[in-house]
Amino acid sequence: MPKFQKIDDYRYLVPKTYRSGMLIDGLIYANEALIQQIEKDLTFDQVANVATLPGLLGRSLAMPDAHQGYGFAIGGVAAADLENGVVSAGGVGFDINCGVRLLASGLNVDDVRPKLETLLNQLFRDIPCGTGRSGLVDLSFSELDRVLNEGVQWSVEKGYATPADVDHIEEGGCLKNADASKVSHHAKKRGKDQLGTLGSGNHFVEVERVAEIFDEPVAKTFGLWMNQVVVLIHTGSRGLGHQVCTDYLEVMQEGMRKYGISIVDRQLACVPIRSQEGQDYLKAMGAAANFAFTNRQLITHWTRKAFERILSHGDLRIVYDVAHNIAKVEEHSIDGKTKKVLVHRKGATRAFPRLRPELPGDYFDVGQPVFIPGSMGTCSYVLVGTEKAMEETFGSTCHGAGRAKSRHAAKKEVTAEQLIRDLKERGILVKGASKSGLTEENPNAYKDVSEVVDVVHNAGISRKVAKLIPVGVIKG
Amino acid sequence: MVYSILEHPADLGIEARGRSLREAFEEAAVALTSIIVDIDSVSVKVDRDLTVDAGDIESLLVRWLSELLYLYDGEGFLCKEATVRQFSPTRLDATIRGEPLSEGKHRMRTDVKAVTYHQLLVREDENGGYVRVYLDI
Repeated sequence: MPKFQKIDDYRYLVPKTYRSGMLIDGLIYANEALIQQIEKDLTFDQVANVATLPGLLGRSLAMPDAHQGYGFAIGGVAAADLENGVVSAGGVGFDINCGVRLLASGLNVDDVRPKLETLLNQLFRDIPCGTGRSGLVDLSFSELDRVLNEGVQWSVEKGYATPADVDHIEEGGCLKNADASKVSHHAKKRGKDQLGTLGSGNHFVEVERVAEIFDEPVAKTFGLWMNQVVVLIHTGSRGLGHQVCTDYLEVMQEGMRKYGISIVDRQLACVPIRSQEGQDYLKAMGAAANFAFTNRQLITHWTRKAFERILSHGDLRIVYDVAHNIAKVEEHSIDGKTKKVLVHRKGATRAFPRLRPELPGDYFDVGQPVFIPGSMGTCSYVLVGTEKAMEETFGSTCHGAGRAKSRHAAKKEVTAEQLIRDLKERGILVKGASKSGLTEENPNAYKDVSEVVDVVHNAGISRKVAKLIPVGVIKG
Repeated sequence: MVYSILEHPADLGIEARGRSLREAFEEAAVALTSIIVDIDSVSVKVDRDLTVDAGDIESLLVRWLSELLYLYDGEGFLCKEATVRQFSPTRLDATIRGEPLSEGKHRMRTDVKAVTYHQLLVREDENGGYVRVYLDI
């Protein structure tokens, strides 16, 4: 018997019969080619494992960029009933509020090209990136607590953000339930000197040009136009968030014994949302999320300074900022009834449609912007949320290209020098903190982001607005 | 004692063996450092003692490596050698030796985000001790 059923060209059902203990069905968004790739690793098993967790509603979902993760698949979405459901630290992941922010300039790419190399050098100097690099601000513990509790509001007071910035960040750059007292000393020590650092792995700052527009009115509302220079920032909560997840995975291991929950994979450790441990985790996760919003804000600040210095144009407007590793309490319609649920998005992006109260005023009539970064040197997409996403995916869509090859395999394919040369020939300048970091992120290691985006567009769970092509890349 | 680095679609794992589980734990510590930094660039200058408690042996391995990761990322300490002095399934006492991180001296490799329970294996038989653990990179 096949392990899944094809529903249509973009939907594959993982029925409850896939494995014992599944309480709900699983559903994977993919086309024929992507489902074949997804089948090769443990994604199916992980979608099914999530479906065994108590109190989940709807289906255990995976987006077309899904690949094997830890506990949850990367690209996984699961919504838990607030009354009798569970929260899983693994359902958010180690990099709490890893996310993407898009900045829009008033410049045309032709104005920037002559000074691009100088601009990249400036960005590379001003934004700490790579393994073991400290940030430019070393916070006292009391100041760090303010960042954790207040998020981007702290940056406004310190001159790193404007009030207009705050309106154009998911949750206004601050999860209100955050509580710094629920974050361990270990986590604070890891985060204390890492605010405003990019980190390594797949994190980046990219200078891009708007290369194609699919939806003119929506692009206009987002302030995007052809050949405009924009900047995409991808990073998360650094060591602080990683430690919060590590700490609460242990709390949840013990909590499961206490609450009599048994699970099939220890990485899925979970506790009732209503329990003390569940509430403590959500408060600590909120604090780590606020650290991540502020991290992207400080990088925004230095990006503006670099643009000002090199191009005399520091006026970069935040188009929006989305989280793709997070758990959020949201209202969704389930079987015709409005219900409060905790939506886990692990490598998935919120994609709310027009007329949702969470949206900033200027986007209220069109919907929420979503950013899907592709692999280095390919392309990225701006999407907009849809009603269909509310109906099917708890208002969620994909988050990136999704890895297809291991770091080791990627590294063997190409040398850093060759990669830099190849990208330069295609008009893309790259600066990386380490050679191995660059080759591990070589574009061949990822799925085709255009194919992933076509699936979510055709399935209707978000809609294409614009395509971005990089001209300069800073890699951690 | 020996360790090797394992492949995972997005991340890396550690496989470590020793004459006993205690030795495999020691070796896993060195393997973790070797992922973060070129271990040949790290000298032994400072000793540190640490104790780790856990509910079971698997959790002990995760907590042991998580503590070493914290010492690197939170306190800037690189561990080149580890000696586990006392060892039980729920507690270990160790001395680690290494030196503080120095940006100019140490050849950095990869940031490790965390230690996971994914396909975790802790085994001891007549051939000795064996552990396998995956890291989120």
